[in-house]
Amino acid sequence: MQRRTLLKTAVIVTALQATMALAENPVLKIGFVGVTSGPAAAWGISNQRSMEARAAWINETGGYTIGETTYDIEIVSFDDQKDPKRAIAGMEKMAQEGIHYVVGPNVDDGAAAVRPVAEANGIMYFPYAFPKSLYQAPASNAVLGMVANYQSGPAIYKYLMENEGVKTVAFIAANESDPLSQRDGGVAAAKELGLEVVSDNVTYQVDTTDFTPVLTPVMRSRPDLLVLSGVSPANAPQLIRSARELGFEGLISTETAQDAGVLAEGAGDLANGFISVGGASTPELASPMMNEFVDRYKKMFGEYNDESNTKVYALEYILETLKAEPSAIKDVDVFQASMDTFEAPNPYMNGDAKLRYVGMSSFGQRRQVAVPLVVNVYQDGVFETLFVAEVD
Amino acid sequence: MKNLTSKQLVGVGLFLFAVFVAVPVLIRITGRWDFYFTLTSVALLAIASAGVWLTFYIGRINIGQGAFALIGAYVSAILVVKGGVSFWISLPAAGLFAALVAILIGLPILRLRGVYFAMITLVLTQVVTLTALALPITNGAKGISSIPLPSGISIFGVPIIPDFAAMENTKLAFYYAACILMILTYAALYRLVNSRLGHLCRSMQQNEELASSIGVNISYIRIVIFAISSFFGGIGGAMFGSIAQSVYPSSFQVADSVNFMLNCFLGGLGYVFGPMLGTLVLYFGWDLLFELGKYQLLVYSLILIAVIRFLPNGLLSLRLGKGGPK
Amino acid sequence: MEQILANGVYLGSQYAMIALGLTLIFALMNVLNFAHGQMYVIGGFVTYTFYGQLGVPFVLALIISCLTLAVLGALIEKFLFAPVIKGSAREESTMLLAAGIAFLLDALILLIFGEKQRGVPKIVNGVFNYDFRLIMPYDRIVICVLAILSIIAFICLMQYSKTGRALRALAQDRTAAQLMGVNVDRYSMIGFALGAMLAGLVGGLLVTITGVNLGMGGPTSIKAFMMVMIGGAGVISGAIWGGIILGFMEAIGLAVLSQYGDITYLLIFVSLMIFLAIRPQGLMGKPWG
Repeated sequence: MQRRTLLKTAVIVTALQATMALAENPVLKIGFVGVTSGPAAAWGISNQRSMEARAAWINETGGYTIGETTYDIEIVSFDDQKDPKRAIAGMEKMAQEGIHYVVGPNVDDGAAAVRPVAEANGIMYFPYAFPKSLYQAPASNAVLGMVANYQSGPAIYKYLMENEGVKTVAFIAANESDPLSQRDGGVAAAKELGLEVVSDNVTYQVDTTDFTPVLTPVMRSRPDLLVLSGVSPANAPQLIRSARELGFEGLISTETAQDAGVLAEGAGDLANGFISVGGASTPELASPMMNEFVDRYKKMFGEYNDESNTKVYALEYILETLKAEPSAIKDVDVFQASMDTFEAPNPYMNGDAKLRYVGMSSFGQRRQVAVPLVVNVYQDGVFETLFVAEVD
Repeated sequence: MKNLTSKQLVGVGLFLFAVFVAVPVLIRITGRWDFYFTLTSVALLAIASAGVWLTFYIGRINIGQGAFALIGAYVSAILVVKGGVSFWISLPAAGLFAALVAILIGLPILRLRGVYFAMITLVLTQVVTLTALALPITNGAKGISSIPLPSGISIFGVPIIPDFAAMENTKLAFYYAACILMILTYAALYRLVNSRLGHLCRSMQQNEELASSIGVNISYIRIVIFAISSFFGGIGGAMFGSIAQSVYPSSFQVADSVNFMLNCFLGGLGYVFGPMLGTLVLYFGWDLLFELGKYQLLVYSLILIAVIRFLPNGLLSLRLGKGGPK
Repeated sequence: MEQILANGVYLGSQYAMIALGLTLIFALMNVLNFAHGQMYVIGGFVTYTFYGQLGVPFVLALIISCLTLAVLGALIEKFLFAPVIKGSAREESTMLLAAGIAFLLDALILLIFGEKQRGVPKIVNGVFNYDFRLIMPYDRIVICVLAILSIIAFICLMQYSKTGRALRALAQDRTAAQLMGVNVDRYSMIGFALGAMLAGLVGGLLVTITGVNLGMGGPTSIKAFMMVMIGGAGVISGAIWGGIILGFMEAIGLAVLSQYGDITYLLIFVSLMIFLAIRPQGLMGKPWG
């Protein structure tokens, strides 16, 4: 073991020297703790790659100026394997690296588990997890990095009630924490809107590959709308395909972000009409900067992932807020204090959209990034914008 | 501990010195504070792995320790959050409850052997995870979060254990607590293996029918061992929940059960301290490879394969010549 | 009712194929191959690459999947499992090796094929619909038939060919087989390759229905373990029965217990534990595996 450790250290030292030689600017490290291996890898990898693509872009164009100093951005990633224990270790690692701003974790349990570490070490983190307790006082350091299902769900249901005459709805969720919580939130929202919930207790195992038996009883209730609560990108095409093949003719929707390419491969034309939440890359909304980001991402990693439309934002928010409040680089209290008033133009969207922190009505404090709530509908391999809304 | 040789005593002394003095000093010098959590994890996972090792000792492949760790974590969390009990009381309660469950489940399933026992324990892990998702008392999918830190304990006004919430550096406190628990666990394990019961276990590992025919009450021993094993699992899990200050159905799952087993294999099934070393290498190794980025898993698995390829009896078999504390 | 039966047959036939490869390897070498699911995933990705991306005919892509996995299996057996089995004091140590290989394959799949869910064009379009009582897409029927044919072919191979006889002898009693002049090392390798090949075949078949992603490996292995346990470890017919039973359990369980929602699988798992506790060697296994 001795020699191996030595060798490893040597490799790391050389690597470090190499980066140092290249970098002329001081380095600002931003962390990522999330899942980049295993079944949910798609979530974390799209996240990590968005950050890396954006960082490479910034560094290539001379760095990012905060206050007097121009920094090169370095992304430090930690794979938590979707295990809350690892997520804690990852957050400790971030603290060790002197990082104060971290994107992730991707799931509820990880986000809850890292909270003590983040708060003890002065780390602001941007999870993609929806439990309100993470963002409500006394919790202080988490900022929701996307639109929560309890915000997008009601908007979608309402739209469909008004425009498609939807009256009955059925929910189906994977049997694990995140999807079940999202289903419960969705059911409550639907009932509040006056929808009739005809089926809400059918679940499937995360590792299910064949959804026909799972969906058969749901289809019997013949809902107008089938909601796939918290569905993972891997399962969505299978569920859609099975539902359609079973003769389901109603609408299908979800409140999580999906990838058009995956839907096209997995379900083909059967996915037409599938409604999901996206980011800001529909042709009408995407600014030239968004388009360039997509191009750079493609160049760097071979192919784009539509989930990154949402995930490009967290890093931008961190950097823009630091630019507005340079002393926040080492002091998250300053960051938190500035969140109430922070405002900057949204570079990824056409028009005069703003980057700002929201969440007053859901959390009682501004602990959510304002990203446009874009609701997409899938049609022949691409997403089309159904409607755009805002979260307060 | 009458049968410890002076050489072993020196070893134990060195080990205690390393854990309680050298490691904290080194961390202070190098400033690698993040290692505290990693090493605390190692200590706690090593406790659970010790239990798995013990079931190996009676010839059973146990892939169910994650279930008992999760049970322990939930029992402690529920007692602390809903019952307002001190964590230090909930900790043994978690272990005892896990042991109780082990006795009830063990009665039917300990008759199984080989891969059948392995499989049924694997399924058990899933059963416990799904039960945690379905039960109201565990708060279902939402889990239990915002668990308070362990409070202090004092007897007649003399503080025995300080209040963690009032502490400047909880990392160090958790590290010491976890290490003390680990050392107690392995001391107990060592004692057990070198007792009459340990002797009977070895005879069962060789051949259950033979052991039974010479008058060993094998079903009684099996249950006792399985209960002790699960007690360790419950303790490890409960402590983890307290560090994370949250427990979810996914806190311990099948992957954890498998890892506990792998720790034992890697360290060496023939050595009491095997699981401790195995846990250290497997868990700490993953952490050390963190710098490799996307090649982390690749290098990790290659090293793992190389180790088992060239040391099929575990890392501790390197010193097989000396016999080891069998 | 018709629908449940059809779902059961379909699930059962694909599960049986997954379990077959696993049980073959277990029977021959007493190795619980944790990497079986990963091999299945690789099979799916190879078929995806050749059929979905490069436009090679489906059957040819399937054959390429089988060959890739057979070679991979043979190499793994020769250079990893065989030496470790020889050198280890307790044969369970191979579980660590198998798990290491599973990690390795997971890492390779991520690096080579990426993290996204992949799917291929349907091999047959259309849905068989009998009065909404029995609905089955044609491609599922095709895959189901292909799976059953493969199982029959495999049984014939085991029953009537020289290789099959040697493998069965090996599974029954390693030492005796060796004494009877069976080249144990060579047939162990062939057996392992055959088991891996089955994983590749079923991966290639199912990619047309379910698609494939890197996370499917671990759960597939675990499901395969369960089937093998139900039927009895190391027995070919046991694996087939195990697969069919689990398939029907899921089909019936999901239909009958659907109103209980979250606990459907809990009940399936608990009944499995009760079954094993009552009948520890599975349906037709050798006692004590």
